[in-house]
Amino acid sequence: MSAVVDSRTGALVPSRQEDLRLVTGHGKYTADWNLPGQLHAFIVRSDRAHARLVKVDTEQASAAAGVVAVLTAWDVAEAGFHEIPSGPPLVGTDGKPQVKHPLPVLATDRVRFVGQPIAMVIADSALAAQDAAELVAIDYDELPAVASLDAALAPGAPQLHEGRQGNVSLVFEAGDNAAVQAAFAKAARTTTLRMHSQRLIGAPMELRACLATYDTAREHFTIYTPTQGIIGMRSSLSAVTGFDASRIEVVAQDVGGSFGLRGGPYPEHALVMLAARKLGRPVKWVGSRSEVFLSDWHGRALTIEASVALSDDNTILAFRFEDQADLGAYNCYFQSMIGTKNITVTMSGVYKVPALYARSTLVFTNTVPVSAYRGAGRPDIAYAIERLMDQAAAEHGLDPVALRRRNFIPPSAFPYTTANGTVYDCGEFAAVMDKALKQADYAGFPARRAASEARGRLRGIGFGCYLEASGAGTAPKDMVTARFAGDGLLHLYGVTGPSGQGHETSFAKIVSDGLGISPQLIRYHASEPTTELVGNGTGGSRSLYGAGSAFKVMVGNLIARARPHAARALAHPEGTLEYRNGAFHAGAHHISLFDLAASLRGPTPHPLDTEGESSSGTTFPNGCHVAEVEIDPTTGITEVIAYNAVDDLGFVVSPQLVQGQVHGGVLQGAGQVFGEHAIYDPDTAQLLTGSFMDYVMPRVGMVPNIRTDYHLVPTKLNALGAKGVGESGCSGSLPALVNAMSDALRRAGVPPMDMPFTPAIVWKALRERR
Amino acid sequence: MYPFTYERAAGLAQAVASLKADPQAKVLAGGMTLLPSMKHRLAAPSSLIDIARLPELHGIRLDGQGLVVGAASRHGEIATDATVLASLPALAAVAGMIGDPQVRARGTLGGAVANNDPAADYPAAVLACRADIATDRRGIAADDFFQGMFTTALEPDEIITAIRFDRPRQAAYAKFAHAASGYAMTGVFVARFDDTVRVAVTGAGPCVFRWAAAEAALAKDFSCAAVRDLTLPADGLNADQHAPAEYRAHLAQLMTVRAVAQITGQAA
Amino acid sequence: MKIDLVVNGEHRTVHCEQRTLLADLLREQLGLTGTHIGCDTSQCGCCTVHVDGQAVKSCTMLAAQADGCDIVTIEGLAKGGPLHPVQQAFSACHGLQCGFCTPGMIMASVDLLKRHPSPSADQIREGLAGNLCRCTGYVNIVAAVQTAAAQIAGGSPAAGSGDRP
Repeated sequence: MSAVVDSRTGALVPSRQEDLRLVTGHGKYTADWNLPGQLHAFIVRSDRAHARLVKVDTEQASAAAGVVAVLTAWDVAEAGFHEIPSGPPLVGTDGKPQVKHPLPVLATDRVRFVGQPIAMVIADSALAAQDAAELVAIDYDELPAVASLDAALAPGAPQLHEGRQGNVSLVFEAGDNAAVQAAFAKAARTTTLRMHSQRLIGAPMELRACLATYDTAREHFTIYTPTQGIIGMRSSLSAVTGFDASRIEVVAQDVGGSFGLRGGPYPEHALVMLAARKLGRPVKWVGSRSEVFLSDWHGRALTIEASVALSDDNTILAFRFEDQADLGAYNCYFQSMIGTKNITVTMSGVYKVPALYARSTLVFTNTVPVSAYRGAGRPDIAYAIERLMDQAAAEHGLDPVALRRRNFIPPSAFPYTTANGTVYDCGEFAAVMDKALKQADYAGFPARRAASEARGRLRGIGFGCYLEASGAGTAPKDMVTARFAGDGLLHLYGVTGPSGQGHETSFAKIVSDGLGISPQLIRYHASEPTTELVGNGTGGSRSLYGAGSAFKVMVGNLIARARPHAARALAHPEGTLEYRNGAFHAGAHHISLFDLAASLRGPTPHPLDTEGESSSGTTFPNGCHVAEVEIDPTTGITEVIAYNAVDDLGFVVSPQLVQGQVHGGVLQGAGQVFGEHAIYDPDTAQLLTGSFMDYVMPRVGMVPNIRTDYHLVPTKLNALGAKGVGESGCSGSLPALVNAMSDALRRAGVPPMDMPFTPAIVWKALRERR
Repeated sequence: MYPFTYERAAGLAQAVASLKADPQAKVLAGGMTLLPSMKHRLAAPSSLIDIARLPELHGIRLDGQGLVVGAASRHGEIATDATVLASLPALAAVAGMIGDPQVRARGTLGGAVANNDPAADYPAAVLACRADIATDRRGIAADDFFQGMFTTALEPDEIITAIRFDRPRQAAYAKFAHAASGYAMTGVFVARFDDTVRVAVTGAGPCVFRWAAAEAALAKDFSCAAVRDLTLPADGLNADQHAPAEYRAHLAQLMTVRAVAQITGQAA
Repeated sequence: MKIDLVVNGEHRTVHCEQRTLLADLLREQLGLTGTHIGCDTSQCGCCTVHVDGQAVKSCTMLAAQADGCDIVTIEGLAKGGPLHPVQQAFSACHGLQCGFCTPGMIMASVDLLKRHPSPSADQIREGLAGNLCRCTGYVNIVAAVQTAAAQIAGGSPAAGSGDRP
């Protein structure tokens, strides 16, 4: 998409309202805030993966220059704090609810991962706190550690938690095992593929930080922190600290990326609150990158074994999934949903599958806890299904396009209830696939491959027809308001938690389009700290359609509310008024909405202040992404020659912003495909990829060109007809890129491989086949 | 970082004297390696002596068959300097491949060479060009200079002032960069002199080394074909989670072929 | 220790510890929080500023090393006047989402365009090799730099009014 240009002057036009402050360095991220009298905190963390904490001696540290206090688990207990919330328990195959082992705010008698917080030093400067932290003397009684899921499940493995036999947190199942077994028994052909979605570091660019201040008189906390939604954050902080949510204000003006990692609280939040209250001064903590590598929740870490049963005419009879999720050392919020419900909700993919079954085993290891990271299991199941389809096609000599086409849920079948009870509302999967394949010139691939092979290169094309389920939301509804503040602007309020998605622009656009007024006259305020609104934070790709639908409803409400006032102003009956282009019209007369608002100025609230609310549940964004790769066998380096995406997002409000989300998601998927991997030492469970020196982040050029297009099938499930886009890029790119790699490598005789396809790994695989 | 004192060296002699007086002191030029390790609290010098602006350490000039580059020359400077480009363009190429533009604005030749990171780029150029490392007190031949991982022949209080590269008739550097760090997973500098060929390999082993078999083969027949049949033994090469030793061995051979190809204009 | 330097055109005299990093001096003492810290291995580029006309990672410089230097931060690029073409282009091309990497990305891009006024896509990628972005996927960032190059070459008009075309 080219730059937006003013057609009169040729000047570049800003694409978002947020941009002016961000391109001039006037954004305010948490570390940018400073409060008078503030103290600085440094967290002392375990450098052992598994140990009994024999002694934590803070005497020397407490006496060090500039130190005001050192907090330990004792202080946390004294304050009556609870552990970090770990979400509602799922029910296991034994019929019992999952017993959770949540992360304590500070370690008590045992540490279970390198990086686990043990103490917090508070001093008058960040450096003084860091200096003093080295004086905290810890006696560890080391225990053997398990760094991987396989090690944790092995007989005789060290136990992380009491009562969790074999380190298993939960065994979960969904679907109908008997039906699936019967299907496999009568299948003409079957394929099974075991795939690993490796552990990732989310690494939003803004380092996690928090700054808390306590107003003793009002008994009121204010905490500055990056978050995906202040309402949810407030209530979780309340759950940890025991303070009522009404006494906690969360401030997040600008958030530097989140991707699921900032949906809930961490120990550091509780600790700065504790310290601020105890010491009567604001307390600030800013993580370093190496530190957040060891303390931000990690992502993915799933192994999925997928199987398909096909009838004689290649109709799918069943899918079966066996997955194992590495949870890390403790349960944490949302974590258990990833390898269970998030995988099974869409385990039919885009196909008619009469029998479905999944069995999930969630396992503890001595590593950083894993939680939601862009897609949270949904990219992983899309990946598994689409790789399985390609593998089945390859094994049984079938055309991967025809195999899919035969099995797509046809448009006539909607609403379609999957074999495990998910109701898909709409979709045109064949049309999407055809559009994508055409855009990618799939038909012309063999000639391009021949040309690559003539130059000694391997070339592959692959695609993934993904479907994902966007967030159902946990709040009863999404509420938004609009207020006329007398400054000539319309102020909108919601409770979404943007971290780059451009809410200030897209919500302004919905209202601007609906009211026919310039978006320049609209300001969206996400997350006013004192808000009383009810609504969902950001997550599961639902903000646009969730809060956006509420804004659409609000627009209707506002026009209805303004109508009688306009009728009086124009001295015409209401029934004769027409609202268009930002004004009420009655014959030759009109009054603009803003002029009307100005004329009504005085009373508070302003007579035209309006609310809107909407309840929007899960939608089903879907699409087909096609990747074409070329591998240099002499080095193992892969070039992504082309990447084409066709997505069904229902309805698009801001084309540039939607495209940006697809780009970003695709690169995160590409990162996982080509190099990202959080690797632990198998013996010591130390994180070997502890910084950007060793963890391969996608850099400019990894996917040089991404062509995006859409095939929109609006949903009736919300007022906008939109389906959410935030996580789709990952769901499309994992299968597209890996199917392309597999296509190229299969021809060279390489059996199916896991990500990441680093040059060394690809080279070695090719050498072993040659 | 731990606390330290900072001083701007008034002159080279004073800098050396400061180092002599305090064994925990270190010189600071670009700081691209030293400062990150201090930030991680892995290095804790008592004092930093900033030599970056000492005029004695700057300047790029020809000296007969040699190209003399001041130790405090920045990578970015070396990469674009007219004298370097005219007389030893492969060195400019090496400098231009280090890190990224911001790193190249600060990092220095002397600092990188004195540090001798096994994956640094310059050591390959220095070794292949049979350079002379001039210090405040002597000259050290390249063949004697690089002694092991992060270890050189420098005395603790010795400061590199300039490096004199013997100018080969033809030279090239081929690098396979590490996808995360940008350092050389393997980098090979091939220098063809009238009387000999030198092939220096960095990144593959614990320290830069010369690949004797490749040198001999290329001395007989300076062509890609001469190297294509060679295999560098993998024993002793670096192995880590990013690449096994055999991959580095393979890359060393491949980068040698590519460097030769750059020189001869043949297809690699 | 005492440090004298020029920051965004203003002469400043500051006092700080020897171990104070330039990035921290700018952010904490001079209140210029537009320069961000995103890593501790000098790889993310969020802290990029100009020192004596060159893009540099301010987290890997001591304030002491900047004594006598001329520093330009993101806040100094437009300084109350019209936006620099690179700033305009980043916004017009949607080359930023969360904005955290953006100041460093812009400063690196301005430096790149000084050295290569008409850069190829490869030169842009090389020029931004020291800057990480987690949000945009980079495609729009490359487009932004190309757009800025064209605007600068064509003599860019003042920043757009924002009217939709």
